[in-house]
Amino acid sequence: MVYELNDVSVRINGEEILQSVSCTLKEGKWISIIGQAGAGKSTFAKVIKGLIPFFKGEYTHNQQPLPRDSKGNMKVVPQIGYVFQFPEHQIFETTVYKELTFAPKVKGESPERLEEAIMMVMGQMGLSGDLLQENPFQLSGGLKRLIAIASVLIAEPELLILDEPTAGLDPISRTALLKQLKAWQGEKNRTVLFISHQLEDVAEYSDEVMIFKKGRLLVHLDVNELFLKHIAFMEQAGLPLPEPIQLLRLIEAISGRILEPASCREEDIMQLVRSVWQSRGLQNDG
Amino acid sequence: MLVFDQVDYHYRRGHPVLRQLSFEIHQGKFISIIGGNGSGKSTLAKLMNGLLQPREGQVKLDHLNTLKHEDLGRIRELVGLVFQNPDDQFITTSVLDEVVFGLENLRVPRDEMAHRVNEALKAVHMEDYVEAMPHQLSGGQKQRVAFAAVVAMDPSILIVDEATSMLDPQGRRDILDVMHALHRQGMTIIHITHHMEEILSSDRVLLLSNGEMAFDGTPSALFSNVSIAEHQLALPFAVRLHQALGLNAPLCADWKETITSLWSMS
Repeated sequence: MVYELNDVSVRINGEEILQSVSCTLKEGKWISIIGQAGAGKSTFAKVIKGLIPFFKGEYTHNQQPLPRDSKGNMKVVPQIGYVFQFPEHQIFETTVYKELTFAPKVKGESPERLEEAIMMVMGQMGLSGDLLQENPFQLSGGLKRLIAIASVLIAEPELLILDEPTAGLDPISRTALLKQLKAWQGEKNRTVLFISHQLEDVAEYSDEVMIFKKGRLLVHLDVNELFLKHIAFMEQAGLPLPEPIQLLRLIEAISGRILEPASCREEDIMQLVRSVWQSRGLQNDG
Repeated sequence: MLVFDQVDYHYRRGHPVLRQLSFEIHQGKFISIIGGNGSGKSTLAKLMNGLLQPREGQVKLDHLNTLKHEDLGRIRELVGLVFQNPDDQFITTSVLDEVVFGLENLRVPRDEMAHRVNEALKAVHMEDYVEAMPHQLSGGQKQRVAFAAVVAMDPSILIVDEATSMLDPQGRRDILDVMHALHRQGMTIIHITHHMEEILSSDRVLLLSNGEMAFDGTPSALFSNVSIAEHQLALPFAVRLHQALGLNAPLCADWKETITSLWSMS
């Protein structure tokens, strides 16, 4: 499964809000999309889902152009799931079961297949089967978010777009949600497009990162390449570095040593920094 | 002074959201309120400015009481609340009208109104969007406008309820900078947040857990005395770093300064 954009531009109300974007989205990758507000992140995601009918350039799936209607307008791509910001605002059914089965029933899934899909998606999101007959509106914010995302995952999307999926969640719910989604993505070998302002999460969970700036794709890099070797792109995009990377750079600056952690994840950086700290003979009670 | 005296609140009978809350907040303090989803933080904010009234107990602001209907107007002038979701707050069709609306209700003179609107929108970098429709803005831009609309009303107490969740890192910093600037000018700031690093520079932290006050004290005392994960929260990076390196230095929001100074002393 490969989705490709070639020289895609989007103009809305006379303003070019996406300019000449070319990229390849490969199977099984967690790709984070970052950039300042108004950089074009959500517009890019909407093009991928087929929510923007007119754009210049080519968009292909496995090297085949994606279907358009008789007027040449882009159609919604059904095999792509889209979790919008605050997805729980889209919940409308009176039980969790009805909420999860609404879309599959519309598609005409058999009752057997439905039961199987529900059990699978509830398990993947770490949700108890006891919740199925609960009213989703009476659940906590974190649970509502998981149910709303589960109702997208039940359709088994081959590419999943997550637009700020953790906004408003407490830190434990946020980490739990991202771990569930990462496990789902790895187990199913699916592609995730993760739009986020939480740069620590980007460093922690991504395989690749796309940085947008003023409607342009500034760079599309492996996450470790970006945060350990090419941090100038972050500055160019007006974005701060994740705190563990800032720590790494600070220790390099004050020690005069080049540090090469195993990855840009906090655990690997902390381990390396701790060893440098200890080798300097600095106090360490921990 | 804002006083909560044995306050209980429930939306449905038999399902308490807040229980026996008693505390005082003195003018000019910077208070952070933290807690997991569903712990009662947003309900607490609405009780503070009289949008909700306690089922038991009372909420007082100096001589005013949110249980007295005649006091509510004045309380809402004095206590500004920026909602978590800006769409809950918008009622007009342009950014300018959105900020002007509250000032018109306060009968602020025209000249002063123009000054306040300009200052508030400039502070959040939205001065070029006065004609824009609030509902067509991005999530982050909406949060900036919602914040400016409340700040322009110059409340004595500003409550910001997780109102930076859709902002990019620079946008979040801009809003925090404005909150700290207003605090330096004497405004009481009550900041409800899930971003634990943001609480390090506050005077005091209130931790809510299942509607009860689980902690009330300084950020340093919180991290020394409370098991944060039990309350659906995570340690901020500065604290994780202190623990990883076994630092005995006082906890400080600027961890870079601490690291640099310890390194140079060795």
